[in-house]
Amino acid sequence: MFNNLIFIILFMLGFYALVMKTNLIKNVIGLNIMEAAVFFWVISFSDVGGEVSIHKLGEEVTKFNDPVPQALTLTGIVIGASTAALLLTLIIELNKFSGTIDREKIEGLND
Amino acid sequence: MSWMNIELVLLIVLPAVIAVIMAFSSSFKQRTRNILAVTGAGIELCLVFSLFLLNFEAVKSSEFFLQFTTGYSNTPFVINFAMDNLSLLFSLIVTAAVFLIVIFSTQYIRDKESRYFALFFLVLASIQGSILTADLFTLYLFIEAITVFTTPLISFKKTEKTTRAALQYFFYGITGGVFFFISIILIYFNLGTLKMAAVADSFALISTPMQLTIIIFFLLALLIKLGIFPIHFWLPRAHSACPAPISALLSGVLLKVYLYIFMRLFWTMIAFDFLVELHLSAFVLDLALVSSLIGHVFALQADELKKMLAYSSIGHIGMILAVLMLNTEAAFYGGLLHIIAHMMMKSGLFLSSGYLLRTTLSHHIDDLKGIGHKNRLVFIAFIIICLGTIGMPPLIGFVSKWFVLLAFLEARHYFGAFVVGAGSIIALIYYLRYISQAYETVKTENKTLREELVSLKVFFKSTNIMKNVIYLFTLLIIIFGLSYQFFEMPINTAIFELLNPQKYIELVLGG
Repeated sequence: MFNNLIFIILFMLGFYALVMKTNLIKNVIGLNIMEAAVFFWVISFSDVGGEVSIHKLGEEVTKFNDPVPQALTLTGIVIGASTAALLLTLIIELNKFSGTIDREKIEGLND
Repeated sequence: MSWMNIELVLLIVLPAVIAVIMAFSSSFKQRTRNILAVTGAGIELCLVFSLFLLNFEAVKSSEFFLQFTTGYSNTPFVINFAMDNLSLLFSLIVTAAVFLIVIFSTQYIRDKESRYFALFFLVLASIQGSILTADLFTLYLFIEAITVFTTPLISFKKTEKTTRAALQYFFYGITGGVFFFISIILIYFNLGTLKMAAVADSFALISTPMQLTIIIFFLLALLIKLGIFPIHFWLPRAHSACPAPISALLSGVLLKVYLYIFMRLFWTMIAFDFLVELHLSAFVLDLALVSSLIGHVFALQADELKKMLAYSSIGHIGMILAVLMLNTEAAFYGGLLHIIAHMMMKSGLFLSSGYLLRTTLSHHIDDLKGIGHKNRLVFIAFIIICLGTIGMPPLIGFVSKWFVLLAFLEARHYFGAFVVGAGSIIALIYYLRYISQAYETVKTENKTLREELVSLKVFFKSTNIMKNVIYLFTLLIIIFGLSYQFFEMPINTAIFELLNPQKYIELVLGG
């Protein structure tokens, strides 16, 4: 139950930063917090208090943690890192053109 | 495992390999690069088409099924690609459209071509992957890949407008991706599997509130990607900012891929009855219809040609989604036929808008004055495609809209029928606005005949491929409008897949 609560708080925090803040860098941070919240949540679920799920020679493992959520999270982290990099690149480009990273000002320029 | 099963993986690997070659092709001659791009897309099309032809009898009797599995086959965690009639239909039309767009862009794109084609073929690989995949996590990866690879293509001509559009597109795409991920995780924790077929088998075992959560997150993700009404405003900006072939790719092809994913998720994986039970189908239907109306109305006030086309895309996609939500056989027929029709028409319109930009300063309506006199044949083709989009009788747009209208009337959903009709009338107004502007007579500067002929010759020489692609789209729209029965068999088998998801589930789990 505790991990659900943490997930909801973190996710909402990230969503708030993504939607309400006008600074584009803060939006990226919000998006990353959202992703991190999901990853924490996934990992906390997969932990059932067992062994690390690595095959060891000559040892009997009776109870092990689910490896699939960890694999999913790893892939998710890779995607998250690449998207954050691409977003920041675009923001730098935009800053070159308009001289600001305020979303309201940039969107108010035309249309 | 026969070679046909391996061909499924080849469909994804081949564009990816070409993309890698393209990325390092900056030292190639332009001609070599163009030939490589066209042959690559051509081989892709041949592969899909050979699958269709070689299995013609199986497709006809709705028994067609191919799958490819790697990994430990006795565990539930394998990479699994599967192709049934629905994915075959989408793979075929998507590859055909992409092939024509590639031919167009060999001439349209003039600088940084190696980067352009590398990204383009990566998008093609991810599109094929998301159509063919049979498990949820791979689907998530491919959807994210589509978003990541299309973003640099939108901001390809680095200006402030395109960068802004790309940024907005990317923010919305990634947020949609996070929602999708949450839903996948919820499914995994409830069922312990990510195979779509296995999920479909045991989705009823999940408690109702959890089902609702999963479906709502999936819906959120896909409605963002499809650009349905409350979250639509990124779409016209993104689709109008990029180069014309990319607009055609986004509007003509990618939106249909998301529609395919929508069908795969809500008809094969999560049975449609759950949506009806949870009262979500009626809600999505109304939302899509409102979105359709709003798209058409906003297209009225758009002063830029491409923005107008993008808003009209919102209108058409809303209509297709609405008619699919009726969940009857007639509705599927109309919806799938309109998907094909809209793919051809919107690609053709965007490509010809890109061609017209060659002879004007911008796409703003005031700059389009007299453009119909300057390039007559292309503009006539443009008008024919416009008429198809509006729904004039001999063209395919009319046939598909007619079936959509029939489906709405058959289901006694009169608001839907009203939206189809109203959309056509509004579309007539906003297309006429541009067409009448194009035939305004303007004073042209007087050149000597010799000068004009010389410039004309150079111009024709440099643009004839682009013109031919536009004429080809126009011809296809006329020919298929007259003989739409050509699509009857593939569409009917695809409808069989939608109505009997049990076949897909059993075959994936059995093999």
